[in-house]
Amino acid sequence: MSKSGMPKSMLGRLSTAAARLRRQPDLAFGLVLLALVLLVVLFPGLFTAHSPLAINVDKAMEAPSSAHPFGTDDVGRDVLARVVHGARITLSICASALFAAAAIGGALGLVSGFIGGRIDMLLGRLIDVLLSFPPIIFGVMVTGILGPNTINLVLALTVVYVPLFFRIARSGAMAEASLTYVEAARSIGMSEPLVLFRHVARNVVPVILVQCMVLFPLMLQIQSALGFLGLGVQPPTPDWGAILQQGKDYILLAPWMSAFPGLAILVTALALMLVGRGLQRQMDRR
Amino acid sequence: MAIYLAKRLAASAVTALLASLVVFLLVRSVPGDVVGQMLGQTSDPVAAKALREFFGLDQPIWRQYFGWLARVLTADFGTSWTRGQPVLGMIGAALAVTIQLAFATLFLATLIGVPLGILAAMHEGGAIDRTVQALNLLGLAAPVFWIGLMLLVGVSSGFDWSPPLMYVPPTQSLFENLSIMALPVLSLALLQAAAYSQFVRQSIISALGQDYVRTAIAKGVSTRVIFFKHLLRNIAIPLVTFMGLILIQILGGAVIIESLFALPGLGRLLLSSIETRDYPVLQAGLLAVVVIAMLVNLAVDLSYRIIDPRVRLS
Amino acid sequence: MSSSDMFGLIDRRTLLAMGGLAAAAAIIRPAAAADLYGPKAADAKSGGTLNMGLLVEPPGLDPFHQAADARIRLTVLIYQGLFYESPDGTAMPLLAEGFDLSSDRLVYTIRLRKGVKFHSGEAMTAKDVAYSYNYIRDAKNGSPGAGDFAMITAIEPTDELTVKITISAPNAALPMTLGNKYGGVVPAGYFEAADAKTKLNQASVGTGPFKLAEFKPNSNATLVRNADYWEPGVPYLDRINFVFVPNAASLLVGLRNKRIDIATLARPQDVKQVEGVAGLVVERKPSFNQKAIDLGAELKPLDDERVRRAISLAVDKDEIMRASIGGLGNVIGTMVAGMQESWGVPLDKLPNQKVDIAAARKLLAEAGHPDGFALTLTSIIGYDWMDAAAVTLREQLGKIGINLSIQRVELGVWVKNFQSKQMGFTFNDWATVPDPNLLFYRHFHKAPEGADFRNWKNDKASALLDEGRTENDPAKRREIYTRYQQVMAESVPTIMLFSADHMVVRNDKVRNYDQHPTGWYYGLARAWIA
Repeated sequence: MSKSGMPKSMLGRLSTAAARLRRQPDLAFGLVLLALVLLVVLFPGLFTAHSPLAINVDKAMEAPSSAHPFGTDDVGRDVLARVVHGARITLSICASALFAAAAIGGALGLVSGFIGGRIDMLLGRLIDVLLSFPPIIFGVMVTGILGPNTINLVLALTVVYVPLFFRIARSGAMAEASLTYVEAARSIGMSEPLVLFRHVARNVVPVILVQCMVLFPLMLQIQSALGFLGLGVQPPTPDWGAILQQGKDYILLAPWMSAFPGLAILVTALALMLVGRGLQRQMDRR
Repeated sequence: MAIYLAKRLAASAVTALLASLVVFLLVRSVPGDVVGQMLGQTSDPVAAKALREFFGLDQPIWRQYFGWLARVLTADFGTSWTRGQPVLGMIGAALAVTIQLAFATLFLATLIGVPLGILAAMHEGGAIDRTVQALNLLGLAAPVFWIGLMLLVGVSSGFDWSPPLMYVPPTQSLFENLSIMALPVLSLALLQAAAYSQFVRQSIISALGQDYVRTAIAKGVSTRVIFFKHLLRNIAIPLVTFMGLILIQILGGAVIIESLFALPGLGRLLLSSIETRDYPVLQAGLLAVVVIAMLVNLAVDLSYRIIDPRVRLS
Repeated sequence: MSSSDMFGLIDRRTLLAMGGLAAAAAIIRPAAAADLYGPKAADAKSGGTLNMGLLVEPPGLDPFHQAADARIRLTVLIYQGLFYESPDGTAMPLLAEGFDLSSDRLVYTIRLRKGVKFHSGEAMTAKDVAYSYNYIRDAKNGSPGAGDFAMITAIEPTDELTVKITISAPNAALPMTLGNKYGGVVPAGYFEAADAKTKLNQASVGTGPFKLAEFKPNSNATLVRNADYWEPGVPYLDRINFVFVPNAASLLVGLRNKRIDIATLARPQDVKQVEGVAGLVVERKPSFNQKAIDLGAELKPLDDERVRRAISLAVDKDEIMRASIGGLGNVIGTMVAGMQESWGVPLDKLPNQKVDIAAARKLLAEAGHPDGFALTLTSIIGYDWMDAAAVTLREQLGKIGINLSIQRVELGVWVKNFQSKQMGFTFNDWATVPDPNLLFYRHFHKAPEGADFRNWKNDKASALLDEGRTENDPAKRREIYTRYQQVMAESVPTIMLFSADHMVVRNDKVRNYDQHPTGWYYGLARAWIA
């Protein structure tokens, strides 16, 4: 990329960003890792030529080699291919559930916190109950009720996370609702929904977005834990939790089957945390 | 204080009532029932009907709910459908295991996390701080069950040792109990210690920035006094909240670690009673988790007042 | 890879799995004949505690109302029926001493063993036998055994130690039905107490060699020796701890580090993870279980026999077996491996057993699906072999244009579909006692006499099943079941894939444990610790 082609302001912005990153090596490292993860998600073909689904029973459980850098699994599939192709599936499940939960929980929380009164009390209580359910047990039951497939897994994870976002949004809305500018807006005759959306939402939404980033690694943990219990996606779909679940039974014979998907989860969670923390710091500074 | 407590308890009772309904509906929405599980591939319609009647599953759903509720309100949790044991006793036994797991984890995590956090805060920005932070991140990023699995296999192949598989309570043999608990506690504590040290570091750094601490430093008050008198008290409240959160998290959230290390804890009891559709156990167990979470939250709030009398409970 | 290489691989694996030559003899030797529970040991030492690891926790220990195989495995040591299911297929007298059959073959006069005592200390009499079996056969009492007992019209005690059983039509399988799968003999009037059903999980009332001492959820079930047991000198063990270990990794690690003395592996191939460990012995035994694909005719287009045959022709059973259990079993046709010799039909005498993609495609085209169709396979969470089998089957059916999607459901949900005869296209995993009538009748006879879970509704097969049930002459009976199996192989209501061998891993100090082909733990009544 040639620098001359770029407008000056953009160049300036880039260099400030670069300088800022230099002051925050951990954020920079996180971004690099995240970029790597995104690359894997977008172009899995760059990292492996093998199919994640093609089985070869005669080549089951081969140790890592140059042909299969992560080894093969119990039906002879390439573990690297499964991990690489699994990134898109695992992460899109987590991301969709997270955003769905943020949207539903956030909206409900906003309205509930803003309106207050009895509805708020009842909703709040219900959310308290849901929040105190152990997330994995809750997930097991919801996938049991809905039946285990990818969409229902997303739904189950969403249901688990809605209460969290509800709480965050609700307390945000309550705090904002008591501030003078909202009072002022009301007194000049702005309708309630308008006040809600124009002012309160604008101030609460960024908080929720940062929470998304912060909660993403946790979501990854729960999603893979459900996969570990056999409640994830349906085979042969490669999902990190599911690959781990399969691998755990061969742990003494073929540790690579579980070591690598575990590492993938670790690296991704690390990237997300580094970036999430960095962003939060930026926000706090403002 | 007494009025506050009464109010809180009353609110909790309302929540618990709501919880009983949510629990009941959730449990009953899972397809299949204990009779299907018992008869398996031999299903006989007459036998199935007879067993459904025996368990009261033929009753209208609302009657089943109010019947259950009425019995629960008189502290009668019934008998397990698959074990023939009183439900209360089963949950108590499972809870004892999980509570031991939770407190041991909390203890170990505090032991590792707090000093690391303080150390990191004292050397903010330095090499020690950076190392601690890196460790924290790794601890937070690794899936707990994966750590457990790797520990189990690593210890087994490295030392030809693995934990006993039949649970023994500490009252029976402390040594045996500790050798059972060591690896699961360690697996859970690594994550919690990371969260802990992260948290302690952050709290101290922000407390150090507060005016009164700066003033104290400027006045030449000794580091030790600053630490114990000002800092510790200031981070105590968030720390207690944090401990409460961790307790609640482990209570039902240690399912997978319990499964991995064959611990008969509450998480596994819930999971197995979902499998067998043992409604009395499942409903009571979930209700117990919700109620305990509420009590822990209450205890946390009350402890604020004890730690810092300035906190007003409203 | 050439086929000889493939076989070379299997042989090597098999050899490795056996963990030495000493164990090889156990495999070649046919199932032990005519010893109750297996041979008694000449040099046995009495006493000691044995820890057995179980991957599947019994959902309850009530032999009267609980059908789960995980329950039966344990309770055969606690409760006893009148006969024992000898691995060779004969019903050996257990609590019975012998019986006389009336000339119309409808009345069995059974003499009972003397000196048998219940765990509660009372002596067993004919009244108890009549009470127990009358309880099971009355479906209103909710026993899963009621169906098998439906042919009995009356059970009466004629004196202290004689009981008379009348049946509605001649039935060669009656003695085997009075075995140890359901019920067993308990004291008369036991179920009159309101809490009797659930109490069976805490205190045993049987006549077996072991008594229940403790049953702790998610932890262990402990049996102790029945001091009043009627067989002299046995059992040898004082105490058995069945330890519930919920995952294979922990169980294998536990075996390696001697936390567990003995375990049977759910997935035979796990044996590779403990081979060569000093002090561990591996034994491989044939089984009465079958891993199968069921084709419920209520699901279109499986109602079309041509489609079912096409699927059968596309399935490479051997590949599925290698993928799912490392090849440690036997490919089967229409009979479980442990009964193949006595009741089975050679695979080359059965239709639709060899892979033939061209023929399968032709059949599909005739049925109106020249380009195949989409089909959903149900598999059960927790049945490990199904995961690898499902992806392998998916590839195989892909070759005839069937686009298979896999749906894993939780066992409770699966059972619900099964019982309501909505099984669709599904994996199944079940075991039998060694009698063809007990194996086939309930599953495959059309309703209402049978349950016909697969909605097969086959008149010819049903007629043969009726005929086989009443025939007493072994040679004629075998001939009838041969014809039945040919009908089944032709029409494909189910595709029996393979029987997985029982893999027993034991510490070498555990002696004289003989794994029964049912998978039940009878052998513990003869095992001892050196």
